[in-house]
Amino acid sequence: MSRQLSIEQLLRWRLALAETEAPPAPRAARLLEAVRPWWELWPERFRAQAARLGRMQTAAFGYAMADPRLARTGHPVPALVVHSEELETFVRVLYFSVRGDRLRLRFHLDGVSARAEPGYEVTFVSDGAAVGAADARPLLAAAAEHSTDGEYRLDAALPDEIAGRWERLKVTDPMPFRLILRPTAAGAG
Amino acid sequence: MRFVWFWTFWHWSREGFRAGSLLRGPLHGIAGHWDEWYRHEASPEDRRAVEDAGRSKAAQRAFVGWLARHWAREAEWRGSRPPARFVLGQLAHVAPFDRWPALEKYRASYGPAGVWAIVLAEGSAGESADVRRVEALVVPADADAAAPAVVAEGFEADDAALDAARRAALGMLGGTGLLAFLALWVAGGRRPYPRWLGALLALGWAAAAALAGWLLVGPDPGERLLPLVAALAALWAALVMTATGAAAAVVGGAWRLGARWRRRLEADQLRLRMSGGLRLIGGSAGVPFSLNALLAVYRANPAAASASWLWERFFRRMRAGAPGWAATGSVAADGRISPVVLESKLRACLRHEDISDVLTPWQRGARGRVIRQLADGLKETHGGRTAAALRVGGARLGFAAELPRLRGHRCRHLAQAMMSIGGLTSVPQVAVNVLALAVSAVMLAALPDLRGILRPPPAPAAVAPSSPSPYHLWVSLDTKHPEDFEVLLESRFWSNRRATVAAYGGDNASVRAELRLNRLDFQTVSDEEDGTVWIERRRRFLTRAFAPGERVGRYTLSYLTRLGHD
Repeated sequence: MSRQLSIEQLLRWRLALAETEAPPAPRAARLLEAVRPWWELWPERFRAQAARLGRMQTAAFGYAMADPRLARTGHPVPALVVHSEELETFVRVLYFSVRGDRLRLRFHLDGVSARAEPGYEVTFVSDGAAVGAADARPLLAAAAEHSTDGEYRLDAALPDEIAGRWERLKVTDPMPFRLILRPTAAGAG
Repeated sequence: MRFVWFWTFWHWSREGFRAGSLLRGPLHGIAGHWDEWYRHEASPEDRRAVEDAGRSKAAQRAFVGWLARHWAREAEWRGSRPPARFVLGQLAHVAPFDRWPALEKYRASYGPAGVWAIVLAEGSAGESADVRRVEALVVPADADAAAPAVVAEGFEADDAALDAARRAALGMLGGTGLLAFLALWVAGGRRPYPRWLGALLALGWAAAAALAGWLLVGPDPGERLLPLVAALAALWAALVMTATGAAAAVVGGAWRLGARWRRRLEADQLRLRMSGGLRLIGGSAGVPFSLNALLAVYRANPAAASASWLWERFFRRMRAGAPGWAATGSVAADGRISPVVLESKLRACLRHEDISDVLTPWQRGARGRVIRQLADGLKETHGGRTAAALRVGGARLGFAAELPRLRGHRCRHLAQAMMSIGGLTSVPQVAVNVLALAVSAVMLAALPDLRGILRPPPAPAAVAPSSPSPYHLWVSLDTKHPEDFEVLLESRFWSNRRATVAAYGGDNASVRAELRLNRLDFQTVSDEEDGTVWIERRRRFLTRAFAPGERVGRYTLSYLTRLGHD
């Protein structure tokens, strides 16, 4: 190669080299598949996990507090943590806010502090107790990242229909969903 | 208003809680709330101001100072002020504060530690690292009803063990534990007197004991009996009133403040922090947890302690001395301390250079002799190792450093631990109390005798019945205090006799003295009615009878023998 090349020529040469070495662009079908949610890719797995989630009993509170100031508590949300094995647990919703089409949620995962994950892919499943376990359907999936002291935060866009229904929900109300949590390190599979 | 953004956040948090979008109260959820606010709610101006506040270490320190001195005093949540250290400790873990060097010390500590806990690592034979720093903090209870009453930070423990420690602390503030503590203090606790007054009172008790001793076994004071008894009674009454008055004031103050603190601890959340990430097996950290819970209640409002001399002294000593104290023992909710595995723990304390005193359960392995033997064993190991390992150019290095001296304090109850750590036990006071108890017991037993001397009953008159037998003389008296009188017969025909007065029952019931009439061998008169009967006051002090006192009645023998017959 001549030593008398301009910078522009050098860059063009490097670009041409990169294009020849680059893998081929994915096909449209592959791209479409990649954006499909996991429950469409593995419907059997979703059905099995949703069924297990639906069978979980929701903890019911008996209110016997003497001090009415302390009578505030959230309703635990059944959650299935899909790690190397599946762990049934509960999530305590600490913050719940729907503004426009944005859901902002913070939750605390009970009983899994020993293996706190940096993040989870959270799948919202319609509450089987309300609609029947067999009819449980996925509502949305979003990434939650670890915040502090076992807390996770989540910020996701909601479909209009859900946003309208959830807008008035308070953190102390029973939540109309159950959760499947898949550690982000575990990938989609 | 440099830090107005923090007020903006605080109000957002309060409003979010009120509106029902936040589950935890603004105080307990402050870290998560801040994280949410800073990421999604803060305006660009707010974020810029936060960045400015963290631009330099000096600016960060200014924020920390403002938060502790101004915000924490003005902010209010459900009637309580937020504890600044807790707030800083929570915020130190979230962005952007997690990168602030000025908050470094708040990330792993709530501030000054309390009594050390001795928790052995797995397989440890007792190393200095097994003596672990414990921090305790009380914060207003969370609005979240599911929040636990005791939170363990940096370690895991059974809820039951933590609850027992908390309940023991509650009992020490207002319950049977506090009663035990107050009883121990009354029995032998340092008193709130100045030194000179304490010495004067001790001298007073000694003088009272000496006076009582004189009255019991000394020479008969004769005419000085009345002033002597009066002095003794006045001295004893003054000493008793001083002692009981001071004790009642201290006990009452401690009880009232303890009850107030108990209500606070019941309502608040106790947070215990111990580094090491251990999972505690067994409850031997119960004693330090309970003691540190008490210290945390005090630290939440130290000024309140001024209402009680006893609490104030205990906590002042504990706060100052805690860095040198370690404790071990399983504590029950009623404050009783159960034995634990000890030898390795004592060895750990001996190896820890800061520990000078260790609180242990009342068990054989905690005796001073055992601690000395352990210390000697460690010294030998220490000396052998250094001698073998440290030779420089053939020269042997000598070490003058001694292993620290360790004092053991064996306790059956948390109350004893509090007496020890508060430096409240006073041997001279125990001695004074024993003396006071002995003197008071004597005085109480002798009260009727003292009354008879100091406030004698009215002089009695001779009344019927008289003796139906010519060989007996009955001197019946109209008095309710027969023990305070005696009767003396002086006659030239009959033997002179003295008799005590007593209450007799039967057909001729009366309070009387009975004398048997015996003729004299050498009579100087032939009149068998010759004779005078004297009624005298009888003066006694328990078993001691003094010379007869004042004569308060005089009757002829003929009058008395006919009394009731005519």
